[in-house]
Amino acid sequence: MPDRKPQTGDYVEIHLSKLIYLGILLEVPGNEKGVVLLKLDSGYNVGFNRKDILKIKFLRKIKSDEKNFEIKKSSEKPNIAMIITGGTIASRYDSRTGGVKPLTKPEELFKYYPELFELVNVSKIEIPFMKASEDMDFKDWQKIARIASGFLNDGNIKGIIITHGTDFLHYTSAALSFFLKNLSKPVVLTYSQRSSDRASSDANLNLRCAALAAISDIAEVMIVGHATTNDDYCYAMPGTKTRKMHSSARDAFKTINGKPFAKIYGDRIEIISHHKKREKGKTKIDSKFEPRIALIKIYPGQNPDLLDFYSKKKYKGLVLECSGLGHVPSSGKKSWLKKIKEIQKKGIVVCITSQTIFGRVDPFVYSNARELFESGAIYLEDMLAETAFVKLGWILARTKNREEVKKLMLTNFAGELNEKLEFQEI
Amino acid sequence: MPEINYDKVGLKVGLEIHQQLDTKKLFCSCPSMLRQDNPDFTIHRKLHAVAGETGEIDPAVMHQVSLKKEFVYEGYKTTCLVEIDEEPPHPVNNEALKIVLQISILLNAKIFPITQIMRKTVIDGSNTSGFQRTVLIARDGFIQTSHGKVGIESICLEEDSARIIGATENEVFYRLDRLGIPLIEIATAPDIKNPEQAKEVALQIGKILRSCNVRRGLGTIRQDVNVSIKKGARVEIKGVQKPELIEKAVEKEAERQFQIISMEGKVDSEVRKVLLNGETEFLRPMPGNARMYPETDLPLLKISRDMINEVKKDLPKLIGESEEELRKLELNQEMIKLLFSENKVEEFKELLAVLNNPKLIAKILLVFPREIASRETIPMEKIEKLLDASALLFVIKSLKEKKIKESEVKHVLEKIANGESPRSAIKIEKEDLNNLEEKIHKIIREKPGLSENAYMGLVMKELKGKISGKEAMEIIKKYVK
Repeated sequence: MPDRKPQTGDYVEIHLSKLIYLGILLEVPGNEKGVVLLKLDSGYNVGFNRKDILKIKFLRKIKSDEKNFEIKKSSEKPNIAMIITGGTIASRYDSRTGGVKPLTKPEELFKYYPELFELVNVSKIEIPFMKASEDMDFKDWQKIARIASGFLNDGNIKGIIITHGTDFLHYTSAALSFFLKNLSKPVVLTYSQRSSDRASSDANLNLRCAALAAISDIAEVMIVGHATTNDDYCYAMPGTKTRKMHSSARDAFKTINGKPFAKIYGDRIEIISHHKKREKGKTKIDSKFEPRIALIKIYPGQNPDLLDFYSKKKYKGLVLECSGLGHVPSSGKKSWLKKIKEIQKKGIVVCITSQTIFGRVDPFVYSNARELFESGAIYLEDMLAETAFVKLGWILARTKNREEVKKLMLTNFAGELNEKLEFQEI
Repeated sequence: MPEINYDKVGLKVGLEIHQQLDTKKLFCSCPSMLRQDNPDFTIHRKLHAVAGETGEIDPAVMHQVSLKKEFVYEGYKTTCLVEIDEEPPHPVNNEALKIVLQISILLNAKIFPITQIMRKTVIDGSNTSGFQRTVLIARDGFIQTSHGKVGIESICLEEDSARIIGATENEVFYRLDRLGIPLIEIATAPDIKNPEQAKEVALQIGKILRSCNVRRGLGTIRQDVNVSIKKGARVEIKGVQKPELIEKAVEKEAERQFQIISMEGKVDSEVRKVLLNGETEFLRPMPGNARMYPETDLPLLKISRDMINEVKKDLPKLIGESEEELRKLELNQEMIKLLFSENKVEEFKELLAVLNNPKLIAKILLVFPREIASRETIPMEKIEKLLDASALLFVIKSLKEKKIKESEVKHVLEKIANGESPRSAIKIEKEDLNNLEEKIHKIIREKPGLSENAYMGLVMKELKGKISGKEAMEIIKKYVK
């Protein structure tokens, strides 16, 4: 095949005006179209500007040497099911082309994370989509919930693990907490912050601990991941009370205004706080969602006119991430009070949370908050803004009645509200 | 043991030199500083099996490792999240990159316009990430030696590993102070043909490195030597610190392989550790090629023309010497060879910059010290110590400032070699020419009937350093018919 047009993964000769380089032609990142990348025999990758290349000569094809892996099952181990949705934990480096690819087959999971399979049989795996978590929306939550309820109602399956990108993982965990009713088995979401190609990847401990959580008696939606920077134990954290608190660290997820359910070592679980116990019974799904909602962060000097946009676009509810105890700019021309009253009259539900993340909102300490509260804004206690956003969409899909919405938003469905805040070091 | 004919046994030697650069760390802005004080914190990590594709680490082996060992990393208040693998790497340190570009230019290597930072899988825990970041900057350079050209195969910029502090049965302790210090890795082609040349190459590369901004002191340079002979095998000798030891180690390894072969044995390709006397001992089998794949957290590294030109502007001086350059100065081949083999090229250029008289300077460096040693029976080492760079520079400067004459240089050196300070050695009792003429006349009268040349010998012996040969001959001619 001497005249074959060279493709990524082929062994080629690159001719420059004075030099010739040999190596494997690699995939080029999307933003580098003017570049040709080559893996030299030494293993190093180097690049050339396309305009400097006289020709690229095809020499031979490189055979893919990927081996097939089979998932081994054993009858003694408990069965779990997995839902793979994308993110770092489900991507792999493709050495032939030099690109990062999502896992395509369940078998690949075994290849990359053999430790997971020491504890459990992964008897069912579904891959509904492969998305970075920042690309997901409520429809994806609904899809995951549908698959999860199917697995949960399968008598052979003890629990499920959902692997997920980290960025918006806590939205999905909140959504599943509300969508899955009468939960009787563990639903464990886990992730990785360091990719699987690294010997230092956090995925192994996270998956191992997720497996232990999935066969435990904790019948809750929970996020399982590194508790500290060390590879010694994970926390199982409530789906509605957990938030990504670090952009890159292994222990990015922290329980806010609450406690983890348990501390999980690679081989045992230590229970920390109250949780629902595993029980018999069917899990139902209630995943209707009102998408015309928004989460808005308040900042100094912000113009309240932006609320006109939501009103014009017929939004049904807003969660405001306010300052401190639940305040908005309230004096002078930029006062938000008038506008908030106005949009509520037009039927938009306004919920109040705090951008301090930790702590509870309170409308009675300062008069401006009192005015806001009296106008009908719903102060959501210690609920996380992200959880509030998800819950508001879920509630508004059931009722648009203002009083009803207020009552339901302040009803504890899935641990999202906590009457008692214990001392917590930040 | 008869001496080995290195040509006949087909000795091939290549060097791999790792030198720390004197900048902040390569992928974060933490200081490159080794510390002896107690660490401020420790973190505990495990490594796990990396997926197996052909040529990679055997997952089974790796898994064993991961089950057993826990890695404890010792950090300080100056340690950052990048170093503990909790934050993606920052862009490569520009200063370090520039130093490597400088060295690449000085080694006549071709710099890649675009290159990619790679992850080289490391499983011993010495990198918190599980890999070492390394990037190929240039290839196909060369240096000239007195035994011919030696190719420079590759020049890489890489991060140093964490320093091992200790180990127990289940734990290995590493300190994070060394992790991430920029290293240049220079690999020569296996073009070196004898032990002496190996030393010469190490010295030359060492000089080039030290002319740039590199760290100094113990442990800042590490050199590995690859040695093979015909029918032998490539053996890597680790941790050779000094060029002198390189010569010894190559000699001994060639000898060792030669002996094994002559006894019909088989030489194993392996890694050996050098001992203080140049002997080596087995360290471990030769590892396979490490898995290498891109650092996906960083963009491609582009090295623009502008950057190279900027680097070229402040190249360190005195380096880039080649035979060619020396030949242009009309030095004969013998002298050029000696300059290289005695490692005096740099000194030669330094002195030449003061006084443009290549032949005299070559003699001062190469010929006079030997002559003085044999005539005055002073050991060479002592002479080299006394006639050091600063003494020679002083003499050359005195000559330039006409405080002494060219004909007096050797005499001045002689006095210094005999223990006189350079400052006093240049003070030569100046007798006026008339006085000298009288003395010469006296010598001729005392021994009549000799040839001009015979008188010349007598005169120079008597009046050594006080008169030039030319002047003496002129006077002798007056009196000898």
